[in-house]
Amino acid sequence: MKELLVERLSKIYFDPDRGERIAALEEVSLRIAPGEFVAVVGPSGCGKSTLLNLIAGFLEPTSGRILLDGRPVRGPGPDRGVVFQSYALFPWKTVLENVAFGPRMRGLPKAECHAKAMRYLELVGLAHVAHRYPRELSGGMQQRVGVVRALANEPEILLMDEPFAAVDAQTRMTLQEELARIYEERRPTILFVTHDVNEAVFLADRVLLLSKGRLREEIPVPIARPRRWPRLVEDDDFKALVARTLSAVRAA
Amino acid sequence: MTASAEPVRAHRRARTGAIVQAALPFVLLLLLWQGLVAGLQVSPLVFPSLSAVVRAAGQGLRDGSLFLHLGASLARVAIGTAIALLLAVPLGMAMGVSRAVAAFFTPLLRFFSVLAGIAWIPIATLWFGYGFGAIVFVIFNAVFFVVAYNTLLGVATIPVELRRAAASLGARRWSMVREVLLPGALPNIVTGIRTGLGFAWRALIAAEMIATSTGLGYMLFLARDFYRTEVIVLGMVLVGCTWLALDRLLLAPLERRTIERWGVVRGA
Repeated sequence: MKELLVERLSKIYFDPDRGERIAALEEVSLRIAPGEFVAVVGPSGCGKSTLLNLIAGFLEPTSGRILLDGRPVRGPGPDRGVVFQSYALFPWKTVLENVAFGPRMRGLPKAECHAKAMRYLELVGLAHVAHRYPRELSGGMQQRVGVVRALANEPEILLMDEPFAAVDAQTRMTLQEELARIYEERRPTILFVTHDVNEAVFLADRVLLLSKGRLREEIPVPIARPRRWPRLVEDDDFKALVARTLSAVRAA
Repeated sequence: MTASAEPVRAHRRARTGAIVQAALPFVLLLLLWQGLVAGLQVSPLVFPSLSAVVRAAGQGLRDGSLFLHLGASLARVAIGTAIALLLAVPLGMAMGVSRAVAAFFTPLLRFFSVLAGIAWIPIATLWFGYGFGAIVFVIFNAVFFVVAYNTLLGVATIPVELRRAAASLGARRWSMVREVLLPGALPNIVTGIRTGLGFAWRALIAAEMIATSTGLGYMLFLARDFYRTEVIVLGMVLVGCTWLALDRLLLAPLERRTIERWGVVRGA
C-alpha cells in the first residue's frame, strides 16, 4: 500500500446558462497514509464525488496534481479500485466472473483468477452465489460483490463513492460492520465518500469535511477497533464525535 | 383437482384462447374468400379460388419449385445479412469508442437507415447486373445501416459507471470493447437485426421481381405473365407466412432472450 497525495486540486466548470465559472473543487490538498481509512463528508454538491472521480482518473483536474506512491495519476487504472453507489456490476457476467474481471485483465490464467475470486467471495460469505447473475441478488449482496471485486484486484487504494447509500438501513449497518471487519483484518488504504456522518465516524480513522468545493475541517476519530454497532451506539466518545461532526457539517 | 394444477390449467386455457383469437380473423377471411369467389363466380384471371391456391401449393411442393424459390430467397437474406453484420457491428463499436468517428458517421447513418432498401435496386442492377449480387447488395443495405446505427445507440446507452468500473479494473481499449461495449450493446444490436431484416425482406421481394430468375418475388412476377392468379396469391401467402415465422419463431424470441440475459439492469 502506498500513500496518496493530493496537491491544490481544483476542478472548475463553465456554466453556459449563467455564463459563469463554477468551482466544484477548489485548492484541495490532502494526504492519505498507507493503511489509513479516511472518510470525506459533506452535503450534496459539496464536491466530494468530484474529488473521488478526479482521484479515480474519471475526470481531469483543472489544476493541481494527484500522486500515488509519488507517481502522478493519469486516467483510470487498476492501482485505484473503485466501489460505486450503483454497484456497477456487469449484468452479463456471473458474480464469479465479475470478481475475476480485474485479475483477468492483468493477464492471470483463468483458473487462478477464478480461485482468487472464490477466496474473496468467501470473505463476504457469498461463495454460494458465485454462479448467479447480479440481478438475482439483493442490493446488499450486489454491493458486497462490488466491494470484493475491487479488493480482488489488490489496488493500492480503495475509492468508495457512497457505496451503501442505495440499500436499506438494516442492510447498511451490516455492510458497514463487514467493511470495518475487512479493514481491521487487511488494512487496505481507503478513501470513503459519504453524506452520512454516522457512517463516516463509524468507519474512518479521520473524517474530512468538504463544503462548497473546499476542505473545511479535519476530525480525527480515535475510537478503538474492532468497531461494531452494538458497542458504538452505547459509546459516549462515538456519540460526542458524531455530534461534533454533525454540527461542523451544518455550520459549513 | 389439486390446488396446484389450477394455475397450470388457467395458463393453458389462456394460451389456447390467444391462439384461437389470432387464428379466427384468418379463418373468417378464408371462408369469405371461398364464399365470394364461388358466389360471384369470379374469373380465375381476376382472383383464384381457395382450392386452386391449395392445388398450386400441392403442385409446388411435389415438383419442388416452392422449395427452390423459398430456399433462394432465404439464402440471399442470410448472406446479405451476414455480410452486413460483419461490417456494421465493428463500425458501430468504433463509433462507440471514438467520439470523432461517431460524430462523423452519425448523420450519414441516420440518413441511410431510413432510405428504403428498394431505393437501392436501380443502382444495384447497374453495378451487379440482374442476379445474385444485386439482390444481396440490396439486402446488405437494408440491414447494414440499421444495425450500425443501433450498435452505436447500444454503446451510447451503456451506463458510464460500467465503463468506469472496467477501466478502473484495468480494461484497456480492446478488452473494453469485448467485455463491456459488445455485450452491453447486444440487446440493441439484436433489435437492429430484427428491424433491418424486416426492411430487407420487403426489399428482397421487390428486388427479386426485377433482378433475378429464382426466389419468391420472381415466382410472383413470373406467374403474372401467365395470368396464374393462384400462383400469385400462393406467393403472397408464402411471403407473409415466411416473414411471420422468421420473426415470431426466431427473431422475437432471440430479442427477448438477449434483453433478459444481457440487458443492462440500471443501478438501484
